[in-house]
Amino acid sequence: MRTLFPILAHITWLQWRLHKLRTALTLLGIALGVAVFFAVRTANLTLLSSLTMTVEKLAGKATLQVIGGEGGLPEAVWETLKDTPGVKVAQPIIEVIANTAFEDEGNLMIVGVDMLGDRELREYQFDEGDSEVADPLVSLAQPDSILISRTFADKHNLKDGDKLPLFTSQGKKEFIVRGIFKTTGIGEVFGGQIAVMDVFNAQFIFNRGRNIDRIDLMNEPEVAVEDLKRRLHERLLSGIEVERPAARGKGIENAISAMRIGMTLASFIALLVGVFIIFNTFSISVNQRWKEIGILRALGVERSSVERMFLGEAVVMGVIGSAAGIGLGFFLAAGAERMMSDVAAKVFGYMTTQRQPIFRWDYAVASFTIGVFASLLGALMPSRAASRLNPILALHNIETRQRENVLGRTRMVSGFAMVVAGMALIRFAPLKVGLYFQFSYSLLVLLGLILLLPKLSEWTARLLRPLMDRAFGSEGVIAVDTMIQAPRRTSATVGALMIGLMFVFSTGAYVSSYQRAVSRWMDRKINPDLFIATSDMARSRTYHFSEELSRKISALPGVKRIENVRFIFLPYEGDSVALVTIEMDGWFARVSDVIEGADEAEAREKMIRGEGVLIARNFANRYTLGVGDRLRLQTPTEAFDRPIVGVIEDYTSEKGAVFLDRELYKKYWNDAAVDMIEVNLNHGADVITVKNEIQRIMKGEHRAFIYTNAEYKKWVMNLIDGFFVLNYMQVAVAIVIAALGIVNTLLISVSERKRELGVLRAIGGLRSQIRKMILLEAAAIAIVGVLIGMLAGMLNTYFMVRTAAAMIGGFTIPYRFPFWLIGIVLPMTMLIALAAAWLPARRAVNLQVVEAIGYE
Amino acid sequence: MIELENVSRDYGDGKVVHALNNVSLRVARGERLAVMGPSGSGKSTLLNLICGLDEPTAGVIKIDGVNIALLDDDTRTRLRREKIGMVFQTFNLLPTLTTVENVSLPLRLQGISRKESEIRANAMLEKVGLEGRATHRPDQLSGGERQRTAIARALIFVPPVLLADEPTGNLDSATGEDILILLDDLHFEFDTTILLVTHNVEAARHCDRILRFRDGMVVQEERLNLAQVMG
Repeated sequence: MRTLFPILAHITWLQWRLHKLRTALTLLGIALGVAVFFAVRTANLTLLSSLTMTVEKLAGKATLQVIGGEGGLPEAVWETLKDTPGVKVAQPIIEVIANTAFEDEGNLMIVGVDMLGDRELREYQFDEGDSEVADPLVSLAQPDSILISRTFADKHNLKDGDKLPLFTSQGKKEFIVRGIFKTTGIGEVFGGQIAVMDVFNAQFIFNRGRNIDRIDLMNEPEVAVEDLKRRLHERLLSGIEVERPAARGKGIENAISAMRIGMTLASFIALLVGVFIIFNTFSISVNQRWKEIGILRALGVERSSVERMFLGEAVVMGVIGSAAGIGLGFFLAAGAERMMSDVAAKVFGYMTTQRQPIFRWDYAVASFTIGVFASLLGALMPSRAASRLNPILALHNIETRQRENVLGRTRMVSGFAMVVAGMALIRFAPLKVGLYFQFSYSLLVLLGLILLLPKLSEWTARLLRPLMDRAFGSEGVIAVDTMIQAPRRTSATVGALMIGLMFVFSTGAYVSSYQRAVSRWMDRKINPDLFIATSDMARSRTYHFSEELSRKISALPGVKRIENVRFIFLPYEGDSVALVTIEMDGWFARVSDVIEGADEAEAREKMIRGEGVLIARNFANRYTLGVGDRLRLQTPTEAFDRPIVGVIEDYTSEKGAVFLDRELYKKYWNDAAVDMIEVNLNHGADVITVKNEIQRIMKGEHRAFIYTNAEYKKWVMNLIDGFFVLNYMQVAVAIVIAALGIVNTLLISVSERKRELGVLRAIGGLRSQIRKMILLEAAAIAIVGVLIGMLAGMLNTYFMVRTAAAMIGGFTIPYRFPFWLIGIVLPMTMLIALAAAWLPARRAVNLQVVEAIGYE
Repeated sequence: MIELENVSRDYGDGKVVHALNNVSLRVARGERLAVMGPSGSGKSTLLNLICGLDEPTAGVIKIDGVNIALLDDDTRTRLRREKIGMVFQTFNLLPTLTTVENVSLPLRLQGISRKESEIRANAMLEKVGLEGRATHRPDQLSGGERQRTAIARALIFVPPVLLADEPTGNLDSATGEDILILLDDLHFEFDTTILLVTHNVEAARHCDRILRFRDGMVVQEERLNLAQVMG
């Protein structure tokens, strides 16, 4: 073998040189697959690091942070902490993402600190040149004082003494800049869009009542942090958490887990498509080198050496492609991270600090290894086929070769059995085994489809034949026949398309099913005439309205009633779940038949009296709770324990939601903030007139987003689309990789059919007819790919609506397959395929006929 | 019918190979001409030039008085489709198409409907004795049947010229003889001008005239009388 190696390596090298374009396309296929995989991981890491960095920079030297959920902590907790032995410093914090009243209405993170003690925790480096105040931090004692970062000051051309208008929960207020701190430490957070003010002032203007958002602690040097943490846990109520700042990042990671899981799963698609490209290339390479392999075998090269020659080639391709993929992936990661940050902000309300992608060697090595392994996997079957080639048969003229027989009965039965078994497992297996285990059921279906692929391609192509004949004549027939004739050559490309399109269809179907379910839910349960929101994102975690504003709105002509909605996340059994509070009597007045599993009237009575809670159906599924069970929630004041009086259909959060009456919430959480005001109008009142009136009274005072019912619904649908935009983009990359497969397949098709194309030219086929034939072959591959991709998508949608939705969100979503998607996917795939066919068609047209007819 | 005046065809940029060297010849309508010679003597180049698949380096090639070197590729292709049938040693059938589809292919490329094409193809298959094999694919046919299919395809337009490049080269002698008799029959029925490139003297005896080529030039011309032709 050792002596053979240089010769076989040389033969492989010559093949690469001879088929430069094919080699380049294959390498690009691997590189793109690895790039997406690496980019998503790097972007994930960068996003988390960015979220954690925001927490840590804000924490300064704090060793522990005390938080009470999004509702905040009562001030009394601060007093308790200050008196706790081992606590050196305890500083209250308010943290708000507010909006300036400048023209661009930019976001500004406002940190409320206690001017007297905060310097012990956070380092403030002020630009002394600008400051006219001896100690800017002390100047915060004046209620109109604000300190801003150099970045923000430069952006808005602000200097000491200038006015900074801000929208607060109390309306628009003007602050005086009394210090500009440098772009280091806290000044780096949120891209420098940060300002500092007095904590009690912030508490008032941002409507925190007697609550604070957080307390930052520093331990006495002689007391270990963990000991202090334990001591604090003993002294505080269970709803109050004490964590190291770094550990809070973990909680954020958990909150955005749905997005991360979706991204990670989608990143495998591109890689999987890459495997198909490798499989395709090597299958074709074996076919093209049929005779060469025969000669090598006849000259005494063992089967194992032939197999190793191909596998070695795959490893080299994997190494080059993966290395390039990591470079490309790192470049793509910056864009992916920006988009993920956008989703994290819009959907989950988490603000991040922009930063460059973080290069992690362990990720790079893992992606590289996976890339090389994927190459080997793709080359495995073709390499084995090459080694098993009968030398006598291989030495025959290529024309005498029998039609490829790629699907034996065993493979077909196995494929069918795998599809059926996978679907049965999705349908009947319990959900408790975990998402990744459940995912294997979907993988089983996919593997079954891959085994059936050659036959499915052939059947679909046969169905297509008469249609192509009718529409395009002999060129159409020959184009389809080429597919039928060489299933090995075409199946891998169809497979690559199938995988990419399967995710297009199933993601599209999932989004469509989900949107339909949400739309029906909103029609029945979220049906006020107008919505007034604090943010144009799903919610603002930090900026809220006051009840005073609600009262003003309820007094407007045409307004029948308003409901104040408060929406927070709170810890529950190691995760965080949504808590939605509303004036239940108001909500019940406009909805009917919403409560499941209990007597509606009785449940309503109990809810209004504050004697129970409602839970979302997905919450009930996730935690196996039902009517009659008791729900214990952690609050910053005292233990909350109420019976569950009903279950409702709800899509507020994939983590599950609990509903309770607003008065009950205010009592236990000590929080009167309002996230959304739902406005119900008198019969006959004009929605637009009232909307305009609300806009008029809020204009210049409050930053608010006012939607009519239809606008709100549309906004929610856009938000759902936005959540999946990254998945769509990854799928798009997968389709680009599949398109490379089409180029590859057609180039090989032209090269393998040189004689056939030459004959066609010889018997009178025009150049334009040859071009048409190649383009039609590409179109046929696209049509077959779309149809099989649709079938795979239909099966995968079942997994997504039944298992994935239940596992990730506990939702049960009715299956709905949007057939209209074919109307978009088919022409787009055809366009991509036709573009991919341009080069092969050119080659076919420029074929030297005399040479081609003499070709062997 | 076919006229060549001082036709040369050179290959290569550096060391030039003269595949055809100043060849002039005339083939009359309905004549059968055998072209013989050793490998590399220029026989196949001559056929490729006549059917317009290749272009001469110098000289004029006329088919029915039209200088094909002056035609663009599409016009030349159409002329080939309608006026010249081609039969190859290796049959060159499209493996995915059935016999009738292979034979009707030139008609389909011309834009004639499938129905009409297949009616005409079936009629042609009957003439070459393949009426029962219309739905078979090439790999289900014997060598002789494949060549008959190729001949039927070449004659589907009833072209005035048939170019046959070693049509019996891949066949056993009995089958080869059957093919030559078939060509004779078709020649008599359609008055087809036949140019037959062959190594086989017996095959050449089916023609009216034999041209012997060497090094790209005609070195000998032999006219056969009827008795010789009929054996």
